[in-house]
Amino acid sequence: MSTDSSATVSTTRTWSGGRSPFDVSYGKLMMWIFLLSDAFTFSSLLVGYGAVRFSYPAPEPLVEKIAPMSHVSHEFVDEMQHIGAFSEKHWPSPDLVFNHFPFLHGIHLPLMFVSLMTFILIFSSVTMVLAVEAGHRMDKKKVGVYMFYTILGGLAFLGCQAWEWTQFITEGATLSHNPFGPAHFAALFFMVTGFHGFHVFSGVVLNVIAYISAKNGVYEKRGHYEMIEKVGLYWHFVDLVWVFVFTFFYLI
Amino acid sequence: MHTDNSNEYVPETYVPHVESQGTKEIWRTLTILGILTVVDIVLYFAMPLTGFRNVVFILLGIIKAYYIVASFMHMKHEKVDLAACILVPIILVFGLIAGLLYEGNFWLAS
Repeated sequence: MSTDSSATVSTTRTWSGGRSPFDVSYGKLMMWIFLLSDAFTFSSLLVGYGAVRFSYPAPEPLVEKIAPMSHVSHEFVDEMQHIGAFSEKHWPSPDLVFNHFPFLHGIHLPLMFVSLMTFILIFSSVTMVLAVEAGHRMDKKKVGVYMFYTILGGLAFLGCQAWEWTQFITEGATLSHNPFGPAHFAALFFMVTGFHGFHVFSGVVLNVIAYISAKNGVYEKRGHYEMIEKVGLYWHFVDLVWVFVFTFFYLI
Repeated sequence: MHTDNSNEYVPETYVPHVESQGTKEIWRTLTILGILTVVDIVLYFAMPLTGFRNVVFILLGIIKAYYIVASFMHMKHEKVDLAACILVPIILVFGLIAGLLYEGNFWLAS
């Protein structure tokens, strides 16, 4: 009897108005719901990718025989096509496609550049949480410093992606044709990394706006740095999506 | 605070006060994410190309996603109601992805 009535009272207190049931601000809750809807969008891209990917056979086992290799000649793509590692009949092995690194031309460095991109994004996520933490302490100077590093990380990632796309396009990949495998391979690569890259770009724009506002003392006057937390949520989501793009495009 | 007097509560302007949790957990999460990424790369070259390897990569991806959402996005410190509202649809989407990939290749048979 008594437990019933106390349960009713606490339920009434949480959900009958007069307080935030989730104990978050309206803006933060809306950011979470936006991220949920954005996760649906990326899920649909992944379903499309998976369906097309699994309709082709996995990379040929002979690709493993040519693994001990240190140099990439100018005829690398032609050689791979010649021995059957790149063919329109099966999906290419990612370590033979993504094996370039800036300033180290001609050296076979499979997946090293994309690992660097992953670490850049993880580090910019860390500087973002550090900015949020500084915001909790109302430390205007530190918020500015960490937001600056976060923006630098985002720009570095975008630069890496531009370099990778340039390399990919130079080797002959377009939306309708590529020398590595089925036409869908490059088309899906451009679509999904492009969609993610545009999210990174939007995140950098949001970070720049938050950085300028923090520098101008907007949040100090407001009494809290919650805007940093909200752009931070978006920024971590971009990192989260990259974890899955990395897994499905470069590892599987 | 607004919560002290229910008459003053205005949903659009309510912002709860948050105390700093320190930076220890941030560095711990960075270490875990870094190690898992290195493990990914090592396994790519160490394991033979099988379906099992792909399952390992997906599981490692989900573990990394957990640490990003729980620690970096502070989901661990949010109310359970909010976490459920966001995470339950995501779990359903995982089921949808699995179902569509398993059942959705009928065009290949035609």
